[in-house]
Amino acid sequence: MNDYKEEIIDHYKYPRNFGVLEEPKVTVRENNASCGDMVEIYARLDEKKRIEKMMWKGVGCAISTAAASMLSEKVLGMNKEDLERFGEKGTIELLGGSINAGRMKCATLAYRALIKVFE
Amino acid sequence: MFDINNIREDFPILKRRVNGMPLVYLDSAATSQRPSQVIEAVSEFFENHNANIHRGVHTLAVEATEMVDKAREKVAKFINGETDEVIFVRNATEGINLVAYTWGRENINKGDAIVVSILEHHSNLVPWQELAKEKGAELRVIDADNEGKLILNKTGKVKSITGDGFAIKIGGLDELLDGSVKMVAVTAVSNVLGTITPLEQIAALVRKKCKALILVDGCQLVPHRPTDVKKLGVDFLAFSGHKMLGTTGVGVIWGRREILEKMKPFLYGGDMISEVRIEKTTFAHLPNKFEAGTPDICGIVALGAAVDYLNSIGMEKIQAHEEALIDRALKKAKKLVEQGEIEVYGPMTAKDRAGVFTFNVKGIHAHDSAQILDKYGIAVRSGQHCGAPIVEHFGQMAMARASFYLYTTIEEIDYLFEKIPEVKKVFRI
Repeated sequence: MNDYKEEIIDHYKYPRNFGVLEEPKVTVRENNASCGDMVEIYARLDEKKRIEKMMWKGVGCAISTAAASMLSEKVLGMNKEDLERFGEKGTIELLGGSINAGRMKCATLAYRALIKVFE
Repeated sequence: MFDINNIREDFPILKRRVNGMPLVYLDSAATSQRPSQVIEAVSEFFENHNANIHRGVHTLAVEATEMVDKAREKVAKFINGETDEVIFVRNATEGINLVAYTWGRENINKGDAIVVSILEHHSNLVPWQELAKEKGAELRVIDADNEGKLILNKTGKVKSITGDGFAIKIGGLDELLDGSVKMVAVTAVSNVLGTITPLEQIAALVRKKCKALILVDGCQLVPHRPTDVKKLGVDFLAFSGHKMLGTTGVGVIWGRREILEKMKPFLYGGDMISEVRIEKTTFAHLPNKFEAGTPDICGIVALGAAVDYLNSIGMEKIQAHEEALIDRALKKAKKLVEQGEIEVYGPMTAKDRAGVFTFNVKGIHAHDSAQILDKYGIAVRSGQHCGAPIVEHFGQMAMARASFYLYTTIEEIDYLFEKIPEVKKVFRI
């Protein structure tokens, strides 16, 4: 079960930073049309436009849930350039590096939402 | 006789192993596998007959044209239609769009209504939404009960909602029909749930209450059950070749001749004309009028071979085989449902359901279930199956779907149910 490493299952069962962030915040959404997965991300930026706090809500599979949960811990302190450099590639690495090609959209859903925080 | 072992011998891909396990292909509602007879028809065409069709004098062009004509005859006979009523398109989606763009745009006006059902695949919903928006028409949606069966009777509580640029009514078919309805577009079998819709009853009710045309999405019907357009008493039937052992790239829209003759062409260009001058063009007769440009010639020939293959087995026998498969699946599922292990969506009785079994393992997303089953060589689809409204009708975001065909065995169904409990083990729930 390559795609279901211990850490993924742990984040899926006990998602971190799950919930709605209080104001002030930027709210962004992204969904996967083919499976109905949806994630809403709430981020607070500091005066230097770095992510100070990220929370999220959503419905999805283990992979997309774990990715959102892991990102919510990983991206703190990142600005737009940092996050872009981290990229979808960094997200896949967080998930353990080997994600089945058919699950890429699940793996990158939260990242695709999060990057819109800087728009 | 129906010999499953002989049939499986004809499908080379069934010998494949996936993740070290024999392939258990339960995704035929998405696309079927192809028998050697179809694969050989493809290579035979390219090796010996390849040429463009129509207006060619040389031998290969004549042969290719004859092969396409022959395939059209076979397809027409297969659904008991007339040869020139069979229009080859890319897929059922294009066939439905053809009707929406030509007949729809000429005949549906402000204040008119289009009826669809909540079971529709997006391909038989989105074209009608767009038409309603463009014309100021109303979209009326036949609702389903909690087993996913269409409601034909009056419910007494038609729901009115506002869509994105068009009005919507949702209720039982009887209370949705009146003189303003111009088109009733409905599926024969739900691709999400396998629900068999009562087409003859629907047609009778429509004919009694209005002059609307009836378009049937036959994607999950034509490959699996004997289909007779004359008996169905409908006006259009759309289906895809790749779901009935043919190759991808060819679909069919069948329509009644007197309606097709009055319709404007869909696409304009070569092959669909009668006479072209700089100042004026006249169009070809049926079916060429609707077949602009070079089609997927080899794909059409392959569809002819697929029809030959299905006929050699017999559609009644294929239907009976699939009834036995879904019956087995529903019986096996019953225990797991009672134990609270899985949820099953759609009719729980085999007579109301084609070979489509739709489920979720409790607490597990369909994608995760599908991926874990794949480790055991089992191919099931997961997600919304291009039928988001009916998935949401059951309060779900996604569903896992196992769909069967003539090559599916009872042992494969049993194997699926043996492996479903493994899904929970991975997540230790």
